[in-house]
Amino acid sequence: MGQVIVITSGKGGVGKTTTTANIGTGLALLKHRKVVMIDADIGLRNLDVVMGLENRIVYDLVDVVQGVCRLKQALIRDKRFENLYLLPAAQTKDKTAVSPEQMKDLCDQLREEFDYVLVDCPAGIEQGFKNAIAGADKAIIVSTPEVSAVRDADRVIGLLEAAGFEEPKLIINRIRPDMVKRGDMMDIDDIIDILAVDLLGVIPEDERIVISTNRGEPAVADENSKAGQAYRNVTRRIEGEDVPIMSLDVEPTLMERLRMLFGLKPRK
Amino acid sequence: MNQEPVVIKGTRDGISIILRHQSDFDTIKNKIFEKLQRGGEFFKGGQARLLVKEGYVSQDELEQLETMLRDFGLHLRKDKPLRTITFPGSPQPDTLILKKTLRSGQRIAYRGNVVIVGDANPGSEIIAKGDILVFGTLRGMAHAGAEGDGNSIVAAYRLQPIQLRIAHVISRPPEEKSDMPQGPEVARLKDGIIIIEPYYLI
Repeated sequence: MGQVIVITSGKGGVGKTTTTANIGTGLALLKHRKVVMIDADIGLRNLDVVMGLENRIVYDLVDVVQGVCRLKQALIRDKRFENLYLLPAAQTKDKTAVSPEQMKDLCDQLREEFDYVLVDCPAGIEQGFKNAIAGADKAIIVSTPEVSAVRDADRVIGLLEAAGFEEPKLIINRIRPDMVKRGDMMDIDDIIDILAVDLLGVIPEDERIVISTNRGEPAVADENSKAGQAYRNVTRRIEGEDVPIMSLDVEPTLMERLRMLFGLKPRK
Repeated sequence: MNQEPVVIKGTRDGISIILRHQSDFDTIKNKIFEKLQRGGEFFKGGQARLLVKEGYVSQDELEQLETMLRDFGLHLRKDKPLRTITFPGSPQPDTLILKKTLRSGQRIAYRGNVVIVGDANPGSEIIAKGDILVFGTLRGMAHAGAEGDGNSIVAAYRLQPIQLRIAHVISRPPEEKSDMPQGPEVARLKDGIIIIEPYYLI
């Protein structure tokens, strides 16, 4: 029996879909797990684009739920990575096309056959969110180091707790070590202090994510990407390995190096 | 055991309410109520005594009985309140204790005091008729004395609310960033404005 993990955030644009794609790919690529990713963002599907599988969609989630096709027919196998599958969302329907009960049935069917069922949750806390969490037994929260994203993450954690989820895990995405160092960005401790949940990973801001997303090639498979490395670590932590959080130190600037040379403390 | 749990007997100096065997308090209360109601105005102005043969009545339950008897015009004599037990350290009946982190969008409204063992995050709301105590960081909105009690306080291990309200007064922290206080603080009303002091001054 596999586990169903929902990736959610409340706020939009913080990297839920990117995270789903990278964790899914990571688990299949590094750990050879059988993984299916469900795009629960009906009407605004993205996961297929990020995965570069858009042109292979024939049937979608709503077709499965409405009995237009069999579940197997709608699953898209990713040819680059063994054991990685995608169940795409419908683009021409909306969130009301599916009910939480139907999502639960769907997840339970999929967990029979897969090690991991990852549900990419839409932004917001309405119907789409309720559908996405209905069949899940674990949750990963994605937040960026912005006050508004953290606020929404807090709200979502509250809703998840009310729905019976125990200990959601947090991924802090798009952190910029240089800005944190200058005190212009919330640091990891500030965020953990408010959200009071376990940290699953910290993903640095990385231009390569933009490139890989546009190309439809998850960064986790890119050896040269810092974000990819961070996602590889997240993958290993999901599998129960104890991997320390990546150090995010930045190179000291020329001025700082000079100050250190003269034995002065670096300016905080 | 077909015995009635409650018996009411008339004596020289009033009535005696005898609790003959242990039963849950609501049943007992209802039985007494039924019996007294049948008596109508008969009991008015009289005295009542409570005898507990089996089980016990807590202090809180005794007070509830007293209130009920008063409605019937009876005075409960407490010269010999047999076998009443006050639980040491038990919370006041009008205090809500919550052991959790209060998150954005969560709202606690209670007609009494509210104690949060945990943090109250930004976007959360605590509204209490009485005092609010947070054993953690208060970052949300807190409204103490919501029904107008200006003696209510808001106290927190770290007091960093978005907004504070006590009775009818609303205040928010100053715009300029001041140094974060490093200890527990208490907010209360003084001359119509909300003041915040370190905890040890109370």
